[in-house]
Amino acid sequence: MYFILSGSPIEIAFHFYPWLEAHSDPVAGLNTLSSCMDLADLSGDGENCLVVADLGSSSSGSLGSGMKLKVFRGTSLVSESSLLDLPSGLVAFFMDLNEPRVPALAVASGPCVYVYKNLRPYFKFTLPGLEVDPLEQEVWQQVRLGQIDTVALKDLLEGIRTKSELPLSQRSLRFLSLEPENMEEFVMMHQGQPIRRQTVITCMGTLKKSTADEDGVSCLVIGTESSEVYVLDPEAFIILAKMCVPAPPVVMDVSGQFDVEFRITVACRDGAVYILRRDYDKPKYCVELSSHCVGLVRVGKTVVVGCSDQTLQGFTQKGKRLWSVPLPAPITSMAPMRLSSRGFSGVLVALASCELRLYQDQWVLNTQRTPEPVTALTFGRYGREDGTVVMATQGGAMLVHILRRTASLQKPEGGGPPGAQSVRLNVPKKSQLFVDQTLREREQGPLMHRAFHRDLLRTRLRTAQAYSRALEASTGPSSEQGPVKLHAAVQGLGPNFRLTLYVVNAAALRPITGLSLCMLYDPALYTVAPPLLRLPLLAPGLTYALQTRVTCTGPALCDVIKVCVLQEGRSAPLLTAHINMPLPEAL
Amino acid sequence: MGLFDKLASWLGLKKEVNVLCLGLDNSGKTTIINQLKPSNAQTQDIVPTIGFNIEKFKTSSLSFTVFDMSGQGRYRNLWEHYYKEGQAIIFVIDSADKLRMVVAKEELDTLLNHPDVKHRRIPILFFANKMDVRDSLSSVKVSQMLCLENIKDKPWHICATNALKGEGLQEGVDWLQGTRDLQDGLCLCYIFII
Ligand SMILES: Nc1nc2c(ncn2[C@@H]2O[C@H](COP(=O)(O)OP(=O)(O)O)[C@@H](O)[C@H]2O)c(=O)[nH]1
Ligand SMILES: [Mg+2]
Repeated sequence: MYFILSGSPIEIAFHFYPWLEAHSDPVAGLNTLSSCMDLADLSGDGENCLVVADLGSSSSGSLGSGMKLKVFRGTSLVSESSLLDLPSGLVAFFMDLNEPRVPALAVASGPCVYVYKNLRPYFKFTLPGLEVDPLEQEVWQQVRLGQIDTVALKDLLEGIRTKSELPLSQRSLRFLSLEPENMEEFVMMHQGQPIRRQTVITCMGTLKKSTADEDGVSCLVIGTESSEVYVLDPEAFIILAKMCVPAPPVVMDVSGQFDVEFRITVACRDGAVYILRRDYDKPKYCVELSSHCVGLVRVGKTVVVGCSDQTLQGFTQKGKRLWSVPLPAPITSMAPMRLSSRGFSGVLVALASCELRLYQDQWVLNTQRTPEPVTALTFGRYGREDGTVVMATQGGAMLVHILRRTASLQKPEGGGPPGAQSVRLNVPKKSQLFVDQTLREREQGPLMHRAFHRDLLRTRLRTAQAYSRALEASTGPSSEQGPVKLHAAVQGLGPNFRLTLYVVNAAALRPITGLSLCMLYDPALYTVAPPLLRLPLLAPGLTYALQTRVTCTGPALCDVIKVCVLQEGRSAPLLTAHINMPLPEAL
Repeated sequence: MGLFDKLASWLGLKKEVNVLCLGLDNSGKTTIINQLKPSNAQTQDIVPTIGFNIEKFKTSSLSFTVFDMSGQGRYRNLWEHYYKEGQAIIFVIDSADKLRMVVAKEELDTLLNHPDVKHRRIPILFFANKMDVRDSLSSVKVSQMLCLENIKDKPWHICATNALKGEGLQEGVDWLQGTRDLQDGLCLCYIFII
């Protein structure tokens, strides 16, 4: 790394945009999920392809039309083949040690895993069937022998459905959902075949068999609707291990090696994450989430879970929560970002608010806008570039971003808890006074509470009184002074004074009419002539001076004369001024 | 460069030029250099370069020392250590790798903004390689995507090449020699004026 001349725009760009937007194809027509996407070198020439199990177009009515296995190389689609059933997972894995080292593909759909080699169907693995209720079996047996008709069959199956512990088979369920006129035909078609109950695959992952090598042989790990997790042998496709979880798994992450030690972290439909280990057929640890899991990723030793309550949470491998951060919008997809050449690992989180965020633990390293919400994403080597993120958006676009070689993947300065949090507060020692107070509070709590309330009510009463007084005097904050301003000057030594009142209309344009000034005073002390002055029309901006005589008739005292500005037709004065009269000296 | 060297080159004596051959991995740098070598020195199989290779070869008027740098991401930070020595740059682009055109542009921009390159009138020869591959971009398109028209202070030239067959390479090398001669010619004029 070198330093570019400081302040050059290039340097700034490096800091803020770690991604190069390499490719964007708005009409790629991708409809997929992160679990149905993988990057692999299918041709063995060092150029990685993107393999997508496309869910097809769900808009065209029936879900499951146009389901395809698509392979992209660089900017173009190079291969496309139809899938028989809706895919629930896709992984590329090495199933043998043959040269050249080209991985096989496994596509999970329904109860089967379809394995492709060189993009050609190679093997189909079907999950073992589940136990069927003997009564149900018996009923179908009788149908075959012609002992009962479809109406009786329907009643019997309904009965079994409500009473039996085991769910009905797929066939019986289909039968019950049919219109009566179609039942006969359905029974004719299916009665010959043995009745089976099948589960379906909900998620799939890979687990290295015995070496941690990049191209080591891997086992397939599959989670099923019947709440089981299977590990399959990659060569013989026999079940190597079977584990049970309390609910159907929906997302999984697998690490380790089957022959040494491994961990399978599964988020299940009961809103919990279970951690399975080698030699245990039940979960070793369990994390109860506050809401449902929408994505699960492991980075190093941390399990990062995206939840439907718009949080991202980090857990240890033993299920202890390390951190939780709120997100501004719901998560649409998540993927791990491991960049071994730079020793970096983080999590890419796509949000419904059209953002792609890069998190390292709880810190956001970068936020990138995307034209649409991203529904599926995967990070890894694409083409010949190691740090590439490939995304599929809601509208079916394909986006490829490449990490800049010079991008800084440092935690932001000042990230994490604020410094003040670690400063120890200078809490004083417990004094005798403190202890006494505490005791008093404990013993006389109700009394103190009552005293407090009494004081509070008094305060309120005082406030209300003061407010009403202010209202009456029209001097309080609510008195509408309007644009009229008033000030006064007292001239003379006494007992005769001249009181000059200056009135200004401070309004910008509008003149005011119908005002008068009224003097309020103690008649025992003063006489004022005239006590009421009518004001002429007040043109805006001009100062009007009005005079009146005040004679001190009583003892030599200082008192206040109130001047009120009155408006015709209003009961309350517009404005009140208090004039402190001076002591008459001549008396 | 000493006066004697200039006179020697003007008089037709051989002169050494250090050329840096840069570009992303797999763009065909090693293949191009191999083609430029005399046929008896060419190797048959080319493996991805680790770090860099130094190759020397002579043409009619120049003696080239080429630093063939590895283009793999983890070696690209080695490039800058050789900018000082480089008297010309050959920048190779895989015109069939549309995905990484942005990466090539990014590396080129980094190169052009490096202090050891920025203020020098160092000639840059672009090879838009692999023109034989179907769907590869034309040299015009490549120069558009790399924004070459923004390079105003350095002589540059782009040609479409097929390194496997050696097509287009000679045109580029001729241009490079031309720029050298031009520079030397200018220097000599300058000397005579003095
Ligand atoms: N089709 C085609 N392939 C080329 C061309 N030039 C190089 N290659 C191939 O590209 C690959 C990488 O070449 P190499 O010289 O090692 O690239 P470097 O990493 O830039 O040194 C080799 O397989 C070459 O055979 C070309 O002009 N056309
Ligand atoms: Mg090379």
